[in-house]
Amino acid sequence: MSTEIQPYQVEFDEYLRDESRSVGHADSISFPKNEDELIEIVRKLSKTEIPVTVQGARTGLAAAAVPYGGHLINIGRMTRILGARYDEQDNRFFLTAEPGVLLSQLRKAVSSGEFEIAEPDDLTQAALCRYKAGEWFFSPDPTEASAALAGMVACNASGARSFCYGPVRPYVEALRLVLVDGRTLHIRRGEQKAKGRDFCLNLDDGSYIIGKLPDYAMPKVKNASGYYIEEDMDLIDLFIGGEGTLGIITQIELRLLPMPKAVWGITTFFPDEKSALRFVRGLRGEKEATGVEFSVKPAAIEFFNHKALDLLRIQKQKIAAFAHIQELKATYYNAVYTEFHADSEEKVWEMVEQMNQMLEALGVSPEDTWVANNPRDMEKLLVFRHAVPESVNMLIDQRRQKDPAITKLGTDMAVPDQYLDKIMDMYNGEIQTNGLDYVAFGHIGDNHLHVNILPRDMEDYRKGKALYLQWANAVSAMGGTVSAEHGVGKLKAPFLAVMMTDAGIEQMRALKAVFDPQGHLNPGNMFTMKKEGDA
Amino acid sequence: MNIVVCVKQVPATTEVKMNKETNTIIREGIEAIINPFDTYAIEEGVRIKEQGGGKVTVISMGIPKVADLLRETIALGADEAVLLSDKAFAGADTLATAYTLSLGIKKMGPVDLIICGKQATDGDTAQVGPSLAAKLGIPHTTYVRKIEEIREGTIRCQRLTEDGYEVIEMPLPAVITVVKEINEPRIPSFKGLMKAKKAEIPVWTADEIAADESLIGLKGSPTWVVSTFVPQHNVNSEMIEGKPEEQAKILVDKLLSLQLPLSK
Repeated sequence: MSTEIQPYQVEFDEYLRDESRSVGHADSISFPKNEDELIEIVRKLSKTEIPVTVQGARTGLAAAAVPYGGHLINIGRMTRILGARYDEQDNRFFLTAEPGVLLSQLRKAVSSGEFEIAEPDDLTQAALCRYKAGEWFFSPDPTEASAALAGMVACNASGARSFCYGPVRPYVEALRLVLVDGRTLHIRRGEQKAKGRDFCLNLDDGSYIIGKLPDYAMPKVKNASGYYIEEDMDLIDLFIGGEGTLGIITQIELRLLPMPKAVWGITTFFPDEKSALRFVRGLRGEKEATGVEFSVKPAAIEFFNHKALDLLRIQKQKIAAFAHIQELKATYYNAVYTEFHADSEEKVWEMVEQMNQMLEALGVSPEDTWVANNPRDMEKLLVFRHAVPESVNMLIDQRRQKDPAITKLGTDMAVPDQYLDKIMDMYNGEIQTNGLDYVAFGHIGDNHLHVNILPRDMEDYRKGKALYLQWANAVSAMGGTVSAEHGVGKLKAPFLAVMMTDAGIEQMRALKAVFDPQGHLNPGNMFTMKKEGDA
Repeated sequence: MNIVVCVKQVPATTEVKMNKETNTIIREGIEAIINPFDTYAIEEGVRIKEQGGGKVTVISMGIPKVADLLRETIALGADEAVLLSDKAFAGADTLATAYTLSLGIKKMGPVDLIICGKQATDGDTAQVGPSLAAKLGIPHTTYVRKIEEIREGTIRCQRLTEDGYEVIEMPLPAVITVVKEINEPRIPSFKGLMKAKKAEIPVWTADEIAADESLIGLKGSPTWVVSTFVPQHNVNSEMIEGKPEEQAKILVDKLLSLQLPLSK
């Protein structure tokens, strides 16, 4: 029976950890198959003092899905696509899915047009008649395609293409949620809004929740840290990026985008970091960086620093799966990956001309580029990009054999545009001063790099951790964020405390208390309810 | 060294749909790509040229639209590309195709090495390369996984076999067909793409290659396709259920019951 609350046993060990490699503990576990079963489980628990952790596919990097005691609800069996809707007026296509649907599953359904909806209603049938495979896509593209949709919504996930399309948030049209006391809520974008910073949220049973929003201002960067707050905000946005602390997501309606006619991916290699950074700024339309007017908005701007390329060169020799990666010339110091989406090939060629002028201005040869304009070559570039984090994980696994306490220290911070050079100097300089090993890669278009400190021993690990906290301070002072896409979870709570200050955290606690007075739902994510537990 | 690479346009899928009346491939509505095995042939040709000098010319027989794919081969490092296109070529089987390609290659002048992919992903016959060698009266080696050496008018290569490889040396000019183990095809650069954009792709008709009408197209094709299908690989899997210890026991019992020869 899937409403059963099973006592925890060793066979459930895998559910105690996620991709952050943190390991927690639980007293009981359940695997609901649908919303009714989940509600029944939550109602049973609401009569107890048992805290509840909800987890999806456990691909998170911040331990948000890792339980620290209490009950564990795994939504991995709620994997149906339930319905579709087509908005003819604005040419928009929507899909409704259960929370455990994986991104890979969604992508496959979207690209093939085979949604396997068991009992399609009239709206769904009408929508599917209009649907043509290959004409739509779901833009959020976190690297890990085995992520569950609810996990992506809970941490407001992004990906390379969010430079152009933004994170998951704008693509969530409606949510169904179960609150910690078992009440339910169906919220659709545009239907329930705050008045200034006051809100009244209507629930399905006619009851409502009245509360006050925190008065902090959101950082003006790509962000996945803390509750999303704005005056007069749409209340659906409280739950997106809320890390499961306000309610449990049981249904998600997602908006798809029309597929661009032309998709090009271009990897350019640079002989030094300064010219790569000038190129990035040029791509963002900062004419003073290269002297060339660049009028096209790229879908993605990604960076791989010199240490990342060095690591790939080594792993390419050692690992058979990486042998197919293209040859990396010795003169390639680092790489910038850019993706362009356009309505026609002609438009992409315009971009190619402008990009060539920029490369010329920077003294980079047009030969030092990999240009993919078909699925075959796009796949090759994707393999190259994914090989970097994979190589990091392999290296860390190797080092953990010597000392299992070692983990990689991966940052997820972003700063406003004007600080790009400053933040790069800070990362490079302080890593060097501390004699640490590292690679840096990621979403440089948003000044959002994943600096991965790779400790060789516990001494390195301690130094790295201290540096991480130091950077959280520096990034906060620049008006940036401590987590731009992975979410805060449990691991980054100390950094969120730095970024939000005590006052901000206290206001977030107050907001959570309106929904979950006992602090039973996903405790420890972003902050703890007990003040003395902050550290 | 004059190198010719033969390429074919194929649908970007392995599930080929056939016209039931003519038994020819339906190409409408399916994206066309360069036969993936041919991309290894192009890369190998370009690598030989980069190391020892020379020229790589790509040739294909197909509909006028194939010129776009030939342009792609220029981006991948080929120097020139020629398209053999004529309504009279339509419906060609592997024999008529090999004949037509041989005439196109003869028109190019002296050639040292002809490289083909091991087979096309739509027809899967692997016949055109060897047939082409026969039509040109030169030797060939199929399934080449590595070229060991090219010198003094000979080529020595490794031919992939089911249990390893054999080393074959033959005089040039010759035809080789290559497998994907031979290299990793490059991704084009901006420079390559710009060159490809400007490239002119000459189109040669049946008249221009002086083809015998009875040997080209449907007329010159003795093959009749009765039916085609994608072979299914039957791997019988059995999932063993139970606790880990029970599973291990069931597995060992099953393996023992098969009485497989044990190595010592």
